[in-house]
Amino acid sequence: MSPERLSLPGEQYLAQRHVLTYIEDAVSQLLENKEEVCQYGIARFFTEYFTSVHQGTHVLFREISFIQATPHNRASFLRNFWKCFRTIGKNGDLLTVKEYHCLLQMLCPDFPMDLTQKAARIVLMDDAMDCLMSFSDFLFAFQIQFYYSEFLESAAAIYQDLLTGKNPNTVVVPTSSSEQHRQRSTQSECSPHDGVDAPVFYQCLESLCERYKQSCPPPALIGEVLSSVHRLTFYGFLMVLSKHQGINKVIGALPERGKLLEDTTMDKTLENLVAQMSENSISGPATGPLTVQPRELPRISFPRKPLQHRPRTDLESDGSTEETDSSEN
Amino acid sequence: MMAASPALKLAEKRRPVPVAAAAVGPVPAGEAEFLRQVGVTGMLREALLTVLEARPEEPVAFLADYFEKLALSRAEETGGEVPGPPALQQQRLDRAIWYLRLAHYSQRTAFHNNVSMAYECLSIGVKKKRPGVNGRIYSEVLRRICREGEAPEDILSLLLKKIQCRDYEAVPYDVFRYSTLTCFVLLEFISKANSLYHVLDDSGQADKRVCQAVLGTLGEAIMASDLYVPTSYLEAGSKLRPDCLALAMDKALLARRPSSSMSRREFLSEAAVLFLTKVKPIN
Repeated sequence: MSPERLSLPGEQYLAQRHVLTYIEDAVSQLLENKEEVCQYGIARFFTEYFTSVHQGTHVLFREISFIQATPHNRASFLRNFWKCFRTIGKNGDLLTVKEYHCLLQMLCPDFPMDLTQKAARIVLMDDAMDCLMSFSDFLFAFQIQFYYSEFLESAAAIYQDLLTGKNPNTVVVPTSSSEQHRQRSTQSECSPHDGVDAPVFYQCLESLCERYKQSCPPPALIGEVLSSVHRLTFYGFLMVLSKHQGINKVIGALPERGKLLEDTTMDKTLENLVAQMSENSISGPATGPLTVQPRELPRISFPRKPLQHRPRTDLESDGSTEETDSSEN
Repeated sequence: MMAASPALKLAEKRRPVPVAAAAVGPVPAGEAEFLRQVGVTGMLREALLTVLEARPEEPVAFLADYFEKLALSRAEETGGEVPGPPALQQQRLDRAIWYLRLAHYSQRTAFHNNVSMAYECLSIGVKKKRPGVNGRIYSEVLRRICREGEAPEDILSLLLKKIQCRDYEAVPYDVFRYSTLTCFVLLEFISKANSLYHVLDDSGQADKRVCQAVLGTLGEAIMASDLYVPTSYLEAGSKLRPDCLALAMDKALLARRPSSSMSRREFLSEAAVLFLTKVKPIN
């Protein structure tokens, strides 16, 4: 119970929890599907809408502007991304920026490339952008970049100003593009690899946090990150943020790094699915002419290595009847 | 950093968000009219007012629940899939309890409003001749509130004895409000007593003498308070001053009698008895 919310003026309470954002979205969704909704019942439609918002499934396949509209939407998107593609991490596959971007676009068709690229820059420390990245490295870097993107944009501007020796407090322009800043840094005499003085950087970020209130990492945790070093580079800073368990917990979308690939309920459903698929692929040829070529099967990407061979062995053992299949299981 | 919060104007929300507007094209005035006609506007207005009254920690989950209840009651009104009488009554009871829990009792207007909603919702079930809540439903509501608040059974039965109505009796609204409020206050009292015990008990056992000293002081404070004498609140408060309480506890520890312990259960029920003495019996 936070008693603070009870004393807030009504408008502030609604704004703080983005109630009107969701109500507006619900109405526009309703208008898009007028006929069905009227038949189905309006109260039921709202029930389903708010249930899905609560569960975080409401951001699936939505446009980026909606996904970015609230912290809850951002966290939900991160969670969905993790749940949908965690098998990649399990297989240990390494992917490039472009490939990760394709995955993101599967969940959000108009996902902008520059957000993906920024996340990759954190993993690769702004170097060798065509390198391969592991799923968990990318995911945690992406989380920081995606969840706090506006804050990081301002932080980058501050960093560049410190690097060029300007007083950062006078020129924080969150909208200024990062290209400009990069040019400025190359012109400066100071090498960007030296980084900036950590305590000074922290002071600037602290005042920045006051302006961003809820949508920045907790200042205490930033202090913790920055107090352990004297100087640091911006990507060094982002890298540490992305690996910080405390910040991960505050966002609350992903489990801790060690548990990223564990999910017993998902494993079970996956196993059931695979079992079903293998059954179908067996019963298919039994009823009609052989349509499924045995060679094609391995190409269906079964996400878990031990399971990958099961359908094939089923087929090889004598895939023509269902009886043999069920006796094997 | 997030989207600028839209101004709270009820008229505003009829306008779809810009994204959707871009996809669907310019919003015709007909859409606002459509929303009004099918009742979306009124429904959302009421939902928002309920949210503002209750100020839930998670408004989204709250709204999901709210609309679910609403959908159920709509289905009931239109007669579609009417459940049998027992199920129907259960549903009404559920809804009444839900109303009662919407707002904390310290938010007076909201709580009173919800109590009257609950009362109304329960009254429908009775034959049209005699509108009102009967004693049986009333006891059931009180029992549900206490059980869901995990109040011990013995305390519950003591309370019910004091504020029970006979099954066939019609329960007036005032009694209903008084009793539901009493239940909620009792639940809070018990949870406070529980944390008090937690302080007293180190190493799993609380010293009986100290517990009794605390209960005694608490009892004195409660007895001293009188609803109609405002200064009595101050008096009660001063009896529970830290130094006063410490003195009593100290005295209890000094009297060197063989020490025994007091269980949480005992402590809670003795504290609850103190509370119950202040509950006015109805009738």
